[in-house]
Amino acid sequence: MSEMNNKKDGSQEYVGRYEKKENEYVGRYEKTAEQPLRKLKPLKKATVQPAENAQVASEPKPVPKRPANGQPPKKRPVSPAQAKKQKAAAAKKKAREQAFIRKQKRKERRRNRITNAVAWINVAAVGGILFCGAVYMFAFEHETISNDENRYLAKFPEFSTESYFKGEYTEGIANYFNDTVPNRDFFKKIITNDIMPLKGRKFGDDGVELIGMAVEKKQTATTTTVSTTVGTGTTAETSATETTTTLPKAIDPAVDGEMANNILIANNRGIMIYGGAWGAEKEYAEYVNSYKEQMPKVDVYSLVAPTACSFYTPENYKDLFESEKKDLDSIAKSLKKVTAVDAYTPLLAHKNEDIYSRTDHHWQPLGAYYAAEAFAEAAKVDFEPLDSYKKMTLSNYVGTLYGYSQSTDLLNHPERFVYYKPKDLASLKVTQYNTYFGEPVDAELFNDPANLDNSSYYLVLGTDERIVHVENPKCKNGRNLVIFKDSYGNALLPFLVGSFENIYLCDIRYFNLNAVSFAEEVECTDMLFAMCTYSAVGPNKDYIYWNINQ
Amino acid sequence: MVFSSLFFIYIFLPICLLMYLLARNVSMKNWVLIIFSTLFYAWGEPVYIFLMIGTALINYFAGRIIGKYQGKAGDTIATYFTVIYDFAMLGIFKYSGFIVENINALLSSNIPVPDIKLPIGISFYTFQTVSYIIDCHWESVKPQKSFKNFLLYLTLFPQLIAGPIVRYSTIEKEIEDRTISITDVSYGLNRVALGLAKKVLLANQLSIIVDKYLPNIEGITVFGAWFGAIAYAMQIYFDFSGYSDIAIGLGRVFGFHFDENFKHPFICKDVTEFWQRWHISLSTFFRDYLLYVPIFGKRRKYGGLFLVWLCTGIWHGANWNFILWGIYYGIFVFIEMLIGKKNMKKIPIVIRQIYNKIVIIVGFAIFYFEDLGKLGSFFKTAFGFGGNGLIGIQDKITFMNNVYLFAVAIVCCFPIIEGLKKLTDKVFFTKSIASAVTAVCSAILLLLTSVMLVDATTNPFLYFRF
Repeated sequence: MSEMNNKKDGSQEYVGRYEKKENEYVGRYEKTAEQPLRKLKPLKKATVQPAENAQVASEPKPVPKRPANGQPPKKRPVSPAQAKKQKAAAAKKKAREQAFIRKQKRKERRRNRITNAVAWINVAAVGGILFCGAVYMFAFEHETISNDENRYLAKFPEFSTESYFKGEYTEGIANYFNDTVPNRDFFKKIITNDIMPLKGRKFGDDGVELIGMAVEKKQTATTTTVSTTVGTGTTAETSATETTTTLPKAIDPAVDGEMANNILIANNRGIMIYGGAWGAEKEYAEYVNSYKEQMPKVDVYSLVAPTACSFYTPENYKDLFESEKKDLDSIAKSLKKVTAVDAYTPLLAHKNEDIYSRTDHHWQPLGAYYAAEAFAEAAKVDFEPLDSYKKMTLSNYVGTLYGYSQSTDLLNHPERFVYYKPKDLASLKVTQYNTYFGEPVDAELFNDPANLDNSSYYLVLGTDERIVHVENPKCKNGRNLVIFKDSYGNALLPFLVGSFENIYLCDIRYFNLNAVSFAEEVECTDMLFAMCTYSAVGPNKDYIYWNINQ
Repeated sequence: MVFSSLFFIYIFLPICLLMYLLARNVSMKNWVLIIFSTLFYAWGEPVYIFLMIGTALINYFAGRIIGKYQGKAGDTIATYFTVIYDFAMLGIFKYSGFIVENINALLSSNIPVPDIKLPIGISFYTFQTVSYIIDCHWESVKPQKSFKNFLLYLTLFPQLIAGPIVRYSTIEKEIEDRTISITDVSYGLNRVALGLAKKVLLANQLSIIVDKYLPNIEGITVFGAWFGAIAYAMQIYFDFSGYSDIAIGLGRVFGFHFDENFKHPFICKDVTEFWQRWHISLSTFFRDYLLYVPIFGKRRKYGGLFLVWLCTGIWHGANWNFILWGIYYGIFVFIEMLIGKKNMKKIPIVIRQIYNKIVIIVGFAIFYFEDLGKLGSFFKTAFGFGGNGLIGIQDKITFMNNVYLFAVAIVCCFPIIEGLKKLTDKVFFTKSIASAVTAVCSAILLLLTSVMLVDATTNPFLYFRF
């Protein structure tokens, strides 16, 4: 309470000060401007009052106050007629005033009604969206799979006390609803086609878009590589992989390590931006060399495939890229007793054919064919010409680069996926194993495209998570080939089945055996490391090291 | 649970609104709010909900004691105890890891660093309880007698996890009795739609630009460093002010009138003014409860100032860059104080604008880089010593690819909506037309935001970290 008193005291003081000041000011102004006004005002009143004296009863209030003075009441004596008139006028005025007030009130009421009506409409519109959305979320069937992201969508979580107290259960429910909106693909198409293009314009004549950032240069780290900085890409993408289960059969770009976060889109083609190996290429060569050291009798080959950026980068943007050729040459130089297969030169020669996908980060099987030819030459085995294959065409292919970049240009310019079936497919015996080389299952060399969505046609060539064994009884050269590969290597297989008695296709990332004892077990005579530059100089190369040390 | 998720917008919120609508009187409505607020909090923090309820209980009883023993020893003891308890909780859950790490670094000791998960919103609700207790102690509010009502004040979910820091006095009367008009509801819903749009359409998209540049700070050009930092400043602004909009809007729908938390901070004329417009509920908290705390006495005005900015920094996170950030602003506010308001006004506006924008943008860069080494690289790059040139082809491409987004974001930093409102409010006819147009715009924004959210499976509000 004491504080309150203080405040009061304080405020009183202030009031005092201000009053003084005001008085001072008034004084000053009186001398200059205010004085004539003050003189005028009474004059006006004097002139107006007599004229309106009878009619204007608007100022009766000061009148009763003044009688004490004595003088004004003298004017009071009024004739009865005049009094009547006055009364009538007053009544009229009052009525007019009341009518005016009523009108005002009515007007106000009307205005309120309009304001409220608009507000109601507003609430109905926004609230309607909320409630309709709620009905939509509950009434319609939720999606389970995302084709262009190649993953299963979140599932409704199972309840357990533990998961509840960890917050996983509740989070899982929210995530389920967020991730599996009915007609998800439809909405995603709206985003890509109609909303995202509003963000800006394409650059230059090539219609260039840049997804991710051109990578940092000048890093000479040997263990971490620059080209595949996983985790800095579009946030939506990376978080999606964290929260949801990956599709077992699919390539998950963000986890894969064979794909860059940085993509240039020019002329309706997505090109991963190669950031250079900066020493990592030597490590790759070292790892491969160590295979040869442990298996001196086996012929070891290294086929590192360049990616589309070596051939299709528009001239203006070459500065963004590091040279793959330079790193490939460096690998070739560092290999000891291992044959380096040069895929770069034949691919460059066929640059004008469709050897790389525009919408996917892989090469097309045709590109793999030219690389396989180079390998067959180096390994001195027979090689079937292309026209001995049956050409298969799948249309409307929009691959991983769209899934990753969500670029309208890629979505709206699908391509053809062309692959080649060996003619005597029936004579091949294909077996698939798990990553421990167990549980053999009879399989086909190609997956049936009818079972695939057109965004994952690449999977027609096979999957990564199984070891594939192809036996060709017709081939009698005593050569058994083990391929250690990333997903680029899948495309090589169909072109090599005629050249070896047995081929074992193993993905370096999904291999749970010691590579050397595996090679001994299958009586390997030739071993091919086949992968793209990103795998060879990126984190994937570490698998090559682990596979020999596990 | 985050506001910017389809689950919140289309499942939690409609159910909550429906129940709120069905509840007959204020008491029932309060129950609905308490239940949904606890559900909301427990959704993300099924364990720490008990911590919060415990804190609520302690502060409630402390309030009662303070009310009972006004001006006596009991009052003082309860006040000190509760304030210390509140800050101790905040200290343990937010700063213990940081403190132990620094002690270890300083004394090269080996105390195990406690691995404590930060309870969501603890920075916000702690400040609310502290403001309540101190207000009770100063007798500027009457202690709440009903625990239910006190719990409602603390847990009210619109402002629970990321502010604004609502004072008890602001909603004291409305907790017990409030009327909700249809204009309030429509205003509130529009505000929610606006906030969601700010978060999803602007902040999330700007964050993609930020992620392109700032993480690779060593490899980018001068242009890239500034472009990234400006995008980041705007990202944080739209993110946080969007959240405040949603909170204020939801509050209004439920009949509460929260104070504004942001008043277009980027139009400020100097750094002091920036802080009068940015996160107002935090700066006023420090102004009211810390700056004039008697421990400094009247002469030690600068000590108080230093403390306020130190605390502002620390409040934002347990990391050195936040402390640096707070002191950084403190220094500029101090310099402006030394120059004086009148002298500041004499400086040409162009110079003042350039000065405050640079200070603010660099400030956000400090805010961004938790790694001080990287912050050093930022300064190097931004001021031309990075060795990557002024501008590269990738900058040009990225800029063009985002040019409209960037332009719209900058325009939205200005009080456009307020300006238009002032203009149309003069005449009833235009005012009605304007509100009709607002309704349409809100609906469109809400739909757009929802469509965008289909793709963004998770994008937590940045201020959840604090």
